[in-house]
Amino acid sequence: MNESYAGRGYAERGSARGGQKNTRAGGAILAAVALLSTFLVILGLYYAAGDRERHKVALAAAGCEPNLLSINVGCTTVQMLNSRYKSIANPVIQQVNADVAAYTGNERHHLAAAEAALTAEVTSENAFGVSLARFPFPPAVAPIAKALIQANQARAKLTAEQARSSSLTQLRSFNERVKVASAAVQTEMKLTRRALDSRPTANQEP
Amino acid sequence: MATTRDYKRVAPARGHEPDPDPGDAIGTRNEQEGTADGYEPQQRAAKNRVNKWMEGRIKFGGTGVKRKTAALVLLGAWGFLPLFFMLPSLFTFNTNTIGNSVDDTLGTGAMMNLFLCLLITPAVTLTGQRWFVPLRRWFGIMFACCGIGDALGAAFFDDFAGNPFAKLVEHSFTLLGFLMVLLAIPLFITSNNWAQRKLGRYWKRLQMLTYVIWGLLFFHLATLEGFGFERGSNGSGFAGDGDPIFHQRLYQYCACSLFLLTLRLPPVKGWIAARQQEGRNRLVYLSVMPIFALFLFGFAFIINELIFKGTHSFVENPSSE
Repeated sequence: MNESYAGRGYAERGSARGGQKNTRAGGAILAAVALLSTFLVILGLYYAAGDRERHKVALAAAGCEPNLLSINVGCTTVQMLNSRYKSIANPVIQQVNADVAAYTGNERHHLAAAEAALTAEVTSENAFGVSLARFPFPPAVAPIAKALIQANQARAKLTAEQARSSSLTQLRSFNERVKVASAAVQTEMKLTRRALDSRPTANQEP
Repeated sequence: MATTRDYKRVAPARGHEPDPDPGDAIGTRNEQEGTADGYEPQQRAAKNRVNKWMEGRIKFGGTGVKRKTAALVLLGAWGFLPLFFMLPSLFTFNTNTIGNSVDDTLGTGAMMNLFLCLLITPAVTLTGQRWFVPLRRWFGIMFACCGIGDALGAAFFDDFAGNPFAKLVEHSFTLLGFLMVLLAIPLFITSNNWAQRKLGRYWKRLQMLTYVIWGLLFFHLATLEGFGFERGSNGSGFAGDGDPIFHQRLYQYCACSLFLLTLRLPPVKGWIAARQQEGRNRLVYLSVMPIFALFLFGFAFIINELIFKGTHSFVENPSSE
C-alpha cells in the first residue's frame, strides 16, 4: 500500500509480463471510469440545460414569493418563509412565557424579582420587534405584520412601565392592561402565521 | 534522542508532514528520493523547476515571503472558510444560528475539507509536484475541527429530543456522523510531528482510519438524504434553482469520490507511472480529464452549498432551506 513507491514498482517491472498486465488493467480501469465520467458529465450538462423549466414547475408546485430571501435561488417558498418566521417567533414565545412565569411567581411578594422578570420580558419583546421589522414579509402579509409590530410595541411599552412600578400593588394594577395587550399580540401573531401559510394566488415569479 | 534521529534518517520527509491521509503518508518522499522514481530527466527537471520556483521569494510588505508559503496560505484559507462563517454566531453565542445552520455550514465544510485532504495524493500522482503536500495536514485538521464543531452544535443546539448524547445517536445518520467524529479525534490528536515520531510505523496504520471515515460518509449521506431527489416539495436536494440532483449530497459525494478512488487504485497508478515514464503525460491528462471534470462538477455544488449557507450563518440569519 506504499503509494509513492507503488508507481516506481510498476515502472521497474514495466518490462516484466506481470507488470505489463497490471498496467494494462490500470489503463482499462481508467478508460472505463473516464468513459463513465464523460457520460455522466454530458448527462449533467444536458440536465442542467433544462433547469429553467424545472425551476418554474418547482416554484409553481411549492408556492413561491420571489426574491425575498434567497440570494441563490431567487425565490422563497411558503415553507421557507414559515420556517424562518417560526425560527424568530418560537424562541421569543418560549422566553416570554418563562418571564411571565417568573413574574407570576413573584408578583405578590418580591418586587425586585418581579421587576427583573418584567425587564427581561421587555428585552425579549423589543428584540422580537426588531426581528419582525427586518423580516422580509411578502407584500400581501406586510399590513398584518405591521399591525403585529405595533401590538408588540404597545405591549413592550406597557410592560416597561409596569417594570418601573414602586410597589407590588402598583405592579399588579397593570396586569389587566398587559393581559389585553398580550391578547392583541397573540391575535396578530395568529393572523400573521395564517397569512404566511396561504399561498399566493398567482405565480409571482418574474 | 538517538531513536528520534534514526527515525528521521529513515523517513526524512514524513517527520515534517503528518496528516490524516495514509495514502499521503506514503507519498512523502523528499526531493532527493523524488529524483530516483524512474521519470524521464526532462519531466523530472520540469517538476523540480516548479518545486524550486516555489522555494523562491516574493516581496511582501518589505520582507520576503516564500512563494510556496504564500500559495499554501491562499489555498489553505479555503479550509478555514466554514469555521470563519460560524465565528460571528460563536462570538455572540447565537444559539438560533448555531442550532439552525451549524450542521449545514460545518457539515458541508467538513465534507469539503475531507475531499481536499484526499485530493492531495492524486494531485501528487498526476503532477509529480510536492510543494502543496503540507496542505494535506491542514485540510485534515480543518476537517476534524468542522466535524467536531458540527457534532457539538448538533448535540447541544439541535431540535431533536433528549440529552446531548441522545441527540447524537437517536437517528442513523447522526449516529454515523458521531462515529465519524469519534474516528476523527485520534487522527486530529496525532496530526503532529511529535505523535508521528512516537507512534512510528503505527502512525500510518492509524491514519488509515481516514479511509474508514470516507466510507462512513457515504452511509451518513445515504441515511441523511437517500438515493432520491426532490420532487415537488418532497425529497432531498432543495430544488429552488431547478437542479435538485446536483444539490443531492450523496451524488456530490459519488462524483467527487470516483476521481479520488480511481487514482488510488494501484493498477491505475501503475499505468500512470508507466505512461509518465514513456513521456506521454498528455495521454495521462487526457484520460484523467473527464473523471476530474466530474469531480469538479460535484465539488462546485459542495462549495455552492457552503457559501450559500455560510453567508447566511455569517450574518446570523440562518437559511431555512
